[in-house]
Amino acid sequence: MTTLITPPQESDDREAPTPPSRNTRAKVGRWALFFAMVVIAVVMLYPFWVMIITSLKSEAQFLSGGGFSWLSWKHLSATIPVGQEVLSSTIVCSASILIILVVGLPAGFAFAKLRFRTSTAVFLVIVSAMMVPLQAILMPEFVNVTKLGLTGGYFGAILVYAALGTPFSVFLFTTYFRGVPDELIEAGIVDGLGYFGALWRLVVPIAIPAIATVTVLQFIQIWDDLLVGLLFIQNTSERPITVGLAVLAAGRTTSIPELMAGSFISALPAMIVYLGFQRYLVKGLTMGIDR
Amino acid sequence: MAEIDFDGVTKIFGVGPPAVDHLSLHVDDGEFMVLVGPSGCGKTTALRMLAGLEEITSGTLKIGNAVVNNVLPKDRDVAMVFQNYALYPHMSVAENIGFALKIRGDSKSEIKRKVAEAASILHLSEYLERRPKALSGGQRQRVAMGRAIVRSPQAFLMDEPLSNLDAKLRVEMRLEIARIQRLLGVATVYVTHDQVEAMTMGDRVAVLRDGQLQQVDTPQDLYDHPVNEFVAGFMGSPPMNLVRCRVRAGNDRIEVDFGDQTIELPWHYTSSHELPASGLDVVVGIRPEDVIITDASSPNTIQTRVERREALGAEILVHLSHVDPNTDPSAYAENARADISRKASLVAKMGPRVKITVGDVLSVQLSPEHAHFFDAATGVTLRKRSR
Repeated sequence: MTTLITPPQESDDREAPTPPSRNTRAKVGRWALFFAMVVIAVVMLYPFWVMIITSLKSEAQFLSGGGFSWLSWKHLSATIPVGQEVLSSTIVCSASILIILVVGLPAGFAFAKLRFRTSTAVFLVIVSAMMVPLQAILMPEFVNVTKLGLTGGYFGAILVYAALGTPFSVFLFTTYFRGVPDELIEAGIVDGLGYFGALWRLVVPIAIPAIATVTVLQFIQIWDDLLVGLLFIQNTSERPITVGLAVLAAGRTTSIPELMAGSFISALPAMIVYLGFQRYLVKGLTMGIDR
Repeated sequence: MAEIDFDGVTKIFGVGPPAVDHLSLHVDDGEFMVLVGPSGCGKTTALRMLAGLEEITSGTLKIGNAVVNNVLPKDRDVAMVFQNYALYPHMSVAENIGFALKIRGDSKSEIKRKVAEAASILHLSEYLERRPKALSGGQRQRVAMGRAIVRSPQAFLMDEPLSNLDAKLRVEMRLEIARIQRLLGVATVYVTHDQVEAMTMGDRVAVLRDGQLQQVDTPQDLYDHPVNEFVAGFMGSPPMNLVRCRVRAGNDRIEVDFGDQTIELPWHYTSSHELPASGLDVVVGIRPEDVIITDASSPNTIQTRVERREALGAEILVHLSHVDPNTDPSAYAENARADISRKASLVAKMGPRVKITVGDVLSVQLSPEHAHFFDAATGVTLRKRSR
């Protein structure tokens, strides 16, 4: 390896140009990366900016392009029951995620730690369900849930969301638990725990990053979903926020600032959950890389 | 506290040879039994069966007087120390030590008292609030021990608990574990692949190979009277020299050939050992410390050349090869540097002050009083059962 050393007093314009040092190249690389990230951040944040700015205008101000007003926010709650819809979304999201965790954690533990004859085959079947798009199974699901008489309130949608999210959680928990040393669980078993005790008291406390990852990703997915809510929650008093916004958008005269205000309210919880769990999310998604 | 009894215990994983093959072993109450053997010999599987972490394919396993073949691990009242300690990372040292008691339903004050007592024995009192990640390897090891002793179990099971420690700490912890075991007087089964640990810690040592028990004895008897070539080669560092020789007997003399050289054996070996008939082969075993440098005029010497020399500070290990006694020794010495080191056939353990260099031709005497003889075909000792 050759190192070029140029004494400071000789580095004037008359000197022949030397290749940039490694230091300079690193600096240029860092600036290029920084610039690229700024561009990406602007592209990503611009819609939020437009959403917020537009929501702070009246209909007239939006069409004329200038001004500031809280009018659209005031009108929004009169047009749709925002509070009720946010509550509905929260109930559907929480219940679905609870089921996903309650099913996914023991299933992941079983696939990772308990060897049984057909475990690999069963695991592959469950995980392959991740690859089936929602649209492909929507109609059969709808027929089944209707036959059960569950299309009115939350329950049908909760079951459908739980069924759609569980394969991913089983996959993620299985991967995570494979990294937990067998000896930790065996130590617990010798200390007097059963398998459920070992899962609950030893494995779950150290699986917080994986639980956070499943929670955040499923929360964003369920909270933002329109289709399932639209089809399976038919009681207007129980419809989620995404359905409410769709109703708003489908009105005869759609107020864009109101729609943006509603969208902002709808996006806010997902953003809060994401930012709150971001640290765990990165840990959960990158797990296994350093092993 | 209780005795442990393996009676013909076998473990087969799927198809293939048994991991543990008809193991019959009795551990007395309060005894420190070491299971030793090379990797894959079945020692850990035997321990895991004892803990209840592996099912037993056949045979009977007793703890105390109770057959525990189908008893759940939590109901066996044994405590286990794992190789990587298996400390609960989300709990403090105190919580780790007291966890089994908490599950058992002991009162908080009782748990606190017992944890403090265990911590005091293990010199952990000032670390009780720390998490395992904030402890050194030795401290973690002690926490793992604490978790075991706090339960006052019927037996301690230890699966290579020192193998993750550095050499110095290993020696310290070796003494520490032995001290605690003696203090508590609980039957202990300790698994290791390190024969030094086995020799220094165990009241008795069980040597396993390919799932089969080779010999169980006190460390010294195991060293002095190995029942086969495997045990002879496994116990002792460096291992025993095992050399295939031809027996010649007649006229009240018994000799063995070392290549082109011959050693006469004391006649009493014919009564203490079932030596093969003249002209047949036998495996002669000599411990490295029983290979003695002497002068060429002494009787019963063989000529050897120094091939390698390993100075260990307190002793020197000298790797020797046979030389042709008909060749002028100086020829070997002169060519020492030019020669590529040849395969050594004997290792000798010598004092640190002995002046030896590679290429030296030495006359060595193989202490005939301490020779071992094994069947050349089966490897089984030829010593008659007089003990």
